[in-house]
Amino acid sequence: MTTKKKILIVLAIGVLIAISIALFMFFKPARDIQATETDYSYNASDLVNEYLTDAHKANNKFLDEEGNSKVLEITGIVKNITKDFNNQKVILLKNTKDKAGVNATFTSATNAHTNSVKIGDKITVKGVIRSGASYDEDLEMYENVILDKCDIVIQ
Amino acid sequence: MKKVILSMLAIVFLSLTTFAQKQVSSKTHIKFFSTTPAENIEANNYASVSTLDPASGDIVFSVPMQSFEFEKALMQEHFNSKKFLNTKANPKAKLTGKIENITAINFVEDGTYTADIAGDLTINGVTKPISEKATISIQNGKVSLNSIFNVTLVDYEVAFKKGKPSTNIAKTVEVTVNAEY
Repeated sequence: MTTKKKILIVLAIGVLIAISIALFMFFKPARDIQATETDYSYNASDLVNEYLTDAHKANNKFLDEEGNSKVLEITGIVKNITKDFNNQKVILLKNTKDKAGVNATFTSATNAHTNSVKIGDKITVKGVIRSGASYDEDLEMYENVILDKCDIVIQ
Repeated sequence: MKKVILSMLAIVFLSLTTFAQKQVSSKTHIKFFSTTPAENIEANNYASVSTLDPASGDIVFSVPMQSFEFEKALMQEHFNSKKFLNTKANPKAKLTGKIENITAINFVEDGTYTADIAGDLTINGVTKPISEKATISIQNGKVSLNSIFNVTLVDYEVAFKKGKPSTNIAKTVEVTVNAEY
């Protein structure tokens, strides 16, 4: 084999590797939240209070620049159970005396796990945080923490 | 007799205050749609909160930006990143507006109305005045709203100067809003 041929083969392999890395990145699947290790475990009240005390600090702690924010396990009392426009179950964990709670949205795969959950139950859910709790002057109300891609951990 | 009149008055007063009460919606859907010859990109958000005050016409939407879901994970990361919507620094987008023809909307009777909404839209920490139309429907006392409008990204300092995103993302994206109060 000539040197020229050898160089060509090495180049071809390099190009192939580059293409497969590019394709892999492009088709990278969405993060599987339930398979991701939990970053923090909280009571709904404590997480809400951390946000209401210093939202900026809490955002720095929990939110990620590319949206791969912290995975949390939240324990709280079920205040409300609804469904969103995407037919996903939404469970609000909120202590009666708290100003805001944690709104946990489930997925088409985990919806059924909530079937036996009732208002007043104490449950633990795992999901990714999307935004924090705060008082909004324009809405004139407190906004809940938003947790997405949730599943039940303890019921 | 006096009691009857008084209780009737009380009922009328109560029903009036119910209708005048601020309506809150946490059942919402906001969709971004971008189309270029290269590809169509769509993102969906089901976690926004909105209020509508039938008395004053005040309308507010608060949109958690990290709740936008894309088909491709890489696109979602681009969207959230500093180069695009910088969602860690600006976790929420917001619309505060007024329905200018609020008196034309009868909130106690079933019907469909076109609302003229004028106000401010804040995306990526940048606030711009907007004026758009929305359809408000009243059915059995339930209020719902939908609207489709365009957002020019460069107005909100969202711009890709070079590379793939600059050719694959439209300069103007279509936003669809649905809310049930």
